[in-house]
Amino acid sequence: MESSLGEQLARLLGGSAVLPGDGYEVDGLTPQAVVRPVDRLQLAEILKWASSEGVGLLPRGGGTRTGLGNVPRKADVVLDMGAFNRVLDYQPADMTATVEAGMTLASLQEHLAPGGEFVPLEAAQASRSTVGGILSVGAGGPLSYAYGLPREWLIGIGVMSTQGVSTKAGGKVVKNVTGYDLNKLYTGSLGTLGVIVEASFKLLPNNPHSGMLLASFPTLAASISAGRKLLHSPAAPMGCHSVTSGVSRRLQDSVQAASQDLGLSEEDTALTFAFYSGRAQATRRRMEEAAALLLAEGANAVQRIDDSASNGMLRWLTDAPAEINPNSVLVIKVSVQSKSSARTSAECGEILISGEKPEQMADPGFGSIRLLWPSSTEGAAEVELPILDAVQQTRQIASRYSGSAVVERCPLSVKRQIDVWGDAPDSLAVMRSIKDRFDPNGILNPGRFLGGI
Amino acid sequence: MDFERFLKDLQGIVGAENVVYHSDDLLVFEYDGSVDRGMPEAVVFPNSTQEVSRVIALSHKAGVPVVGRGTGTGLSGGAIAPPGGIQVAFPRMNHILEVDTENRLALVEPGVINLNLDTHVRKFGLRYAPDPSSQKACSLGGNIAENAGGPHCLAYGTTTNHVLGMEVVLEDGAVVNLGSLARETVGYDLRGVFTGSEGTFGIATKIAVRLLPVPEAVRTFLGIFPDVETACTAVSAVIEHGIVPAALEMIDALTIQAVQKVTDAGYPDDAGAVLLIELEGLQDEVDEIGDEVEAALWETGASQVHTAEAAAEREQLWVGRKGALGALGSIAPNYFLVDGVVPRTQLAPVLGRVADVSRKYNIPIANVFHAGDGNLHPCLLFDERQPGALDKIVEAGTEVLQICVDAGGTLTGEHGVGLEKKEQMPLVFSEDDMAAMVLVRDAFAPDNSMNPGKIFPDGKKHTPHAHPPAHGMPA
Repeated sequence: MESSLGEQLARLLGGSAVLPGDGYEVDGLTPQAVVRPVDRLQLAEILKWASSEGVGLLPRGGGTRTGLGNVPRKADVVLDMGAFNRVLDYQPADMTATVEAGMTLASLQEHLAPGGEFVPLEAAQASRSTVGGILSVGAGGPLSYAYGLPREWLIGIGVMSTQGVSTKAGGKVVKNVTGYDLNKLYTGSLGTLGVIVEASFKLLPNNPHSGMLLASFPTLAASISAGRKLLHSPAAPMGCHSVTSGVSRRLQDSVQAASQDLGLSEEDTALTFAFYSGRAQATRRRMEEAAALLLAEGANAVQRIDDSASNGMLRWLTDAPAEINPNSVLVIKVSVQSKSSARTSAECGEILISGEKPEQMADPGFGSIRLLWPSSTEGAAEVELPILDAVQQTRQIASRYSGSAVVERCPLSVKRQIDVWGDAPDSLAVMRSIKDRFDPNGILNPGRFLGGI
Repeated sequence: MDFERFLKDLQGIVGAENVVYHSDDLLVFEYDGSVDRGMPEAVVFPNSTQEVSRVIALSHKAGVPVVGRGTGTGLSGGAIAPPGGIQVAFPRMNHILEVDTENRLALVEPGVINLNLDTHVRKFGLRYAPDPSSQKACSLGGNIAENAGGPHCLAYGTTTNHVLGMEVVLEDGAVVNLGSLARETVGYDLRGVFTGSEGTFGIATKIAVRLLPVPEAVRTFLGIFPDVETACTAVSAVIEHGIVPAALEMIDALTIQAVQKVTDAGYPDDAGAVLLIELEGLQDEVDEIGDEVEAALWETGASQVHTAEAAAEREQLWVGRKGALGALGSIAPNYFLVDGVVPRTQLAPVLGRVADVSRKYNIPIANVFHAGDGNLHPCLLFDERQPGALDKIVEAGTEVLQICVDAGGTLTGEHGVGLEKKEQMPLVFSEDDMAAMVLVRDAFAPDNSMNPGKIFPDGKKHTPHAHPPAHGMPA
């Protein structure tokens, strides 16, 4: 009888690099083993072995987004990149840094802080989220309106190919057109093309002053509409968010625990967050103008929150989707043209599951809206059809506004029936062809990406 | 292949008036802004995506390679026709299709001139940020192919940070959409990897770009320094204040001499370096940061500092920088421009080593560069009529690139690899690195019939021709 995958790996690398897969379940599948390479040599060995044996590998950073993506076709071995956690190069005066993929975002920011700089990546659970994981997902956070996505900041990348060959693209300079920009290809590819080993980033100087406005509105629609006006005014913030009452109640609970009083009244139904940073005087002036604008647009009340409290609020908003997800039966992230945010939000807000509307977290500047339908008391079987229906309706609305709708969380029985990424674009054939060439044996995250890639 | 038949078929698709094939007419399509040349068999001016698709499909079937051509301002030979190939050029597809002020985006055809788009959207209080110095002449389609930069990409990023989506035609004529009008899309970021692929993946026929609001205030600073090293310390001082200016540009003593001969930039005779800094933002922010910049310039040894906020006065401060390349003609008939990039802190030592190359080869080298992002533009001055001059220049240029790579930098910051630097690619990338890149090309263009022979080394000797400075409008 053939030896188990864990035994094969232990022979390849030594027993200490291999653990049982219990507790690393992905979409109901328990991998046979977890392997944690300590260097490029070991990583290359694992990939060569997996390619020759056709083993399904699931690369893993901090494990904060393991629910993202379709149900894997194969989930044989989890590839834990946690040992790749060093800063390889940091020159504050160059405003660039090169780090290994398994480093967490929080420890990277800590390392950069004495240099007066930061990397403009955003991720929930920054103390667990890793650079490699954030790049693989490719998503931004509450300040995407100002900073864009990770793709804007990645300047160089080192990747171990599925054949166990080290490759790189880009470099350590902030402006570079030497060769194809594979940085863009790997970012957002959900680890389906190669294993990210290291990454170089362009950095920004720390802002000397930051602050935020928190405004309450009678309705979400009013909050979004005021946000759009604010974003197109001279007092535009770096990021503007509108959330429904269910989300704001959680914020209230969370800040009350930190013994702060937000002064929100009971009937407040929606909150607008507007984040600012920059030089003190200019920031103050913008926030004053913005507060006046929000009141004129119908805010019940506007509060100004400064420095550390505002940073705490930003962290809360960054983490919020991860915190609220477990209490939601369905979470969809819709991305549309920014001008269609209000209509998208209004139309999606009417989609019911078990009679419940979704809670919403909207970024009307970037054009993204998270819809979170609260968990129902009904059994999974009863809500399956309403959930499928809600997914379908949301997709129709998103496509009407040139957008997409990605299912970030749903019951497994639903997940098995859908492509969580939505309908395939007409470029799918090119995407498949890239995947087939980079991963001819289909070992990396098989089936989890768009169109079953 | 029956070429006469092929020409007839091309004419059938785009109309006889939109196919150029007589050798006299083709002369202007033989070169771009680089030192390379190659005569296309024909040049086609399509009117629509559908025509582009049919032209490319026909060529693919006939085994004729195709290269897209913008306006021919490229500096690495990217638009030079491959042997036996045709060019598809876009003078007819030059329309701004839509400006969406609410979404802050514009939908354009590839032949739209960069500056025309910017000028047009300024009417709505918006701007198109990437501003290659050739922006009066270069097209958005070419900007996509080369991932064009410009002085203001220090703060705003290059073309790739401003492209939302595009419609492209692949080598078999298939029309495919990459990216979208929304900021986030699903699947691989194909529009990201297409941007900067130098025409080897396909040809963009429709492009959606982001627009940014015009800043409330702009202030330009011009500092006169005794030498480049001192001016570089001023750059470091500004950065250490946590300031990322919109632009940070420098010219050296030799360039200053050339500029003085042909423009009214008004630099003092003993100026060893001119540093230009531009700040953009809210008025009070520009005021506050501006004071710090000005202080930093004086503290690090500027002998003069000039500032301006009004557009006309700022333009005057930029005269020397913008006219620098053209002015080199007053010193030598030809120049060869090297586009190397180094980490910002390596600028001063690398420029020292570039000066060593100048002495070793006895070639005057004038430096005009984007100091903020470490993008050098050493211009090797020569006279092509001197026997062997060009070979010597290419050798010295390669040495300059090696210096950049040794300092942790790379071959090209914004001009592309093209024909010019393909044989130098191994200085930066291993066989394996390049093999991974070629896999992506194979996915877009399995038969490698879109702009073949570019970017990757094939051992074919680069046979440059010199051209006078009047042609060059590098960023």
